Amino acid sequence: MKERQFMFATIALIIGGMLAIQFETTNNPIVRDTRDLWDLRADLEKEKQRQQELNEELEQYSELLNQYQGDGKEEKIQAMENALSDLKKQAGLTTVSGQGIVITIEPFNDELIGVDRPLPKIDPDMLRRLVNELNRYDAKEISIDGQRIVSKTPIREVNGNIYINNEPVSSFPIEIRVLAKDNEKLHQKIIASPAVEEFIRENFLVESSPAAKVILPAFDKSMKVKFMKPAKEET
Amino acid sequence: MWLPVLGLLLGLLLGFMSDIRVPPEYSNYLSIAVLAALDTLFGGIRAHLQGSFEDKVFITGFFFNILLAAGLAYLGVHLGIDLYLAAIFAFGVRLFNNIAVIRRLIISKWSDSRKKA
Repeated sequence: MKERQFMFATIALIIGGMLAIQFETTNNPIVRDTRDLWDLRADLEKEKQRQQELNEELEQYSELLNQYQGDGKEEKIQAMENALSDLKKQAGLTTVSGQGIVITIEPFNDELIGVDRPLPKIDPDMLRRLVNELNRYDAKEISIDGQRIVSKTPIREVNGNIYINNEPVSSFPIEIRVLAKDNEKLHQKIIASPAVEEFIRENFLVESSPAAKVILPAFDKSMKVKFMKPAKEET
Repeated sequence: MWLPVLGLLLGLLLGFMSDIRVPPEYSNYLSIAVLAALDTLFGGIRAHLQGSFEDKVFITGFFFNILLAAGLAYLGVHLGIDLYLAAIFAFGVRLFNNIAVIRRLIISKWSDSRKKA
C-alpha cells in the first residue's frame, strides 16, 4: 500500500513538473535575439544618440528648474513666461517664419488629362502621407492652405471636400508651406518622394521651391485637451 | 492520500523554480504528453478504487502513453495530418470517462458508509 502511494506521488511529481514547464512556456515563451553584429552596432548607435538627446533635454530642464528656484519674484515670473511662450511655440500657437520650401499642388493641364474628364480629387490619405513624409525628412513646421498642422490636426474628407482643422480647403492650387533647417535638402528629397509620385499618378502637378523666408500662420482653433491631467505637486 | 498531492505540489514548485522552458516548436508535444500523463494518473486512481490496480500496468502505461502521444504528434507533423488531434480526442474522452467512474465509485462508497451508520 505504501509502495503504491510512493508510485502515485512520483508520477504526480512528474506531472506537476511537466505542467509547470508548460505553463512557463505558454506564458512567457523564449524570445531569441537574432540581431547580428551590424544590427547590434546600429542599435547601439541609436541608443547613444538617444542618450545624448535625453542629456540635452535634461540640461535644459534643470536650467529651467534653477530659474524657477532662483531668488526674486521677477526672475521666476520671467522664467515661467519664457517657458510658456516656448511651449506655445512648440504647440504651434504662434506664427513662425524662416527658411523652408513651398509646395503647390494643382491638377495637370486640361490638354494632358483630356478636357472631358472631371477634375481629379485629392484623397486625405495622400495628404496625410505627404505630411508624414515631410516630417520624416526633418520638416520643422508645416501648414496646408493656411492651416497650421499641429499634433492634433485632423485631415479628412467630408462630402467630397478636404477639411483640415475642420476648415474646408479652398480651390486649387493648394499651397503647402514647410519650415526646414536645410531647405535645399528637403526640396530635393520631397520632389523624389513616393508621396509626390502618388499625387502625380492621380493627375496632380506638384511643384516645390525652396524659399529664404516662409511665413506659417498660427494654429487659431482652441486646443482640446482630453487625456492630460495636472501633475500632483510633490511636497 | 496526501503523498500524491504533496508530490504534485512539489513537482509544480520545482517546475516553476527551475525556469526550464521548451522551445515553442516543441510545446505541442509537451502539452500532449501532459494530457497523456493526466489520463494515466486518473486511470490509475480509478483502477485503485476498483481494486484492479497493477503496478506494472500503471508504470508502463504512463511512459508508453506519453511516448505514443508525442510520437503520434511527431508523425502527424511529418505526414501533414493533425494526428495529435487523435491523441487529444482519445485521451480527452478517457479522461472524462475515468473521472465519471471515480465520481460514481466515491458516491457509492459514501452512501454505503452512511447506510452502515
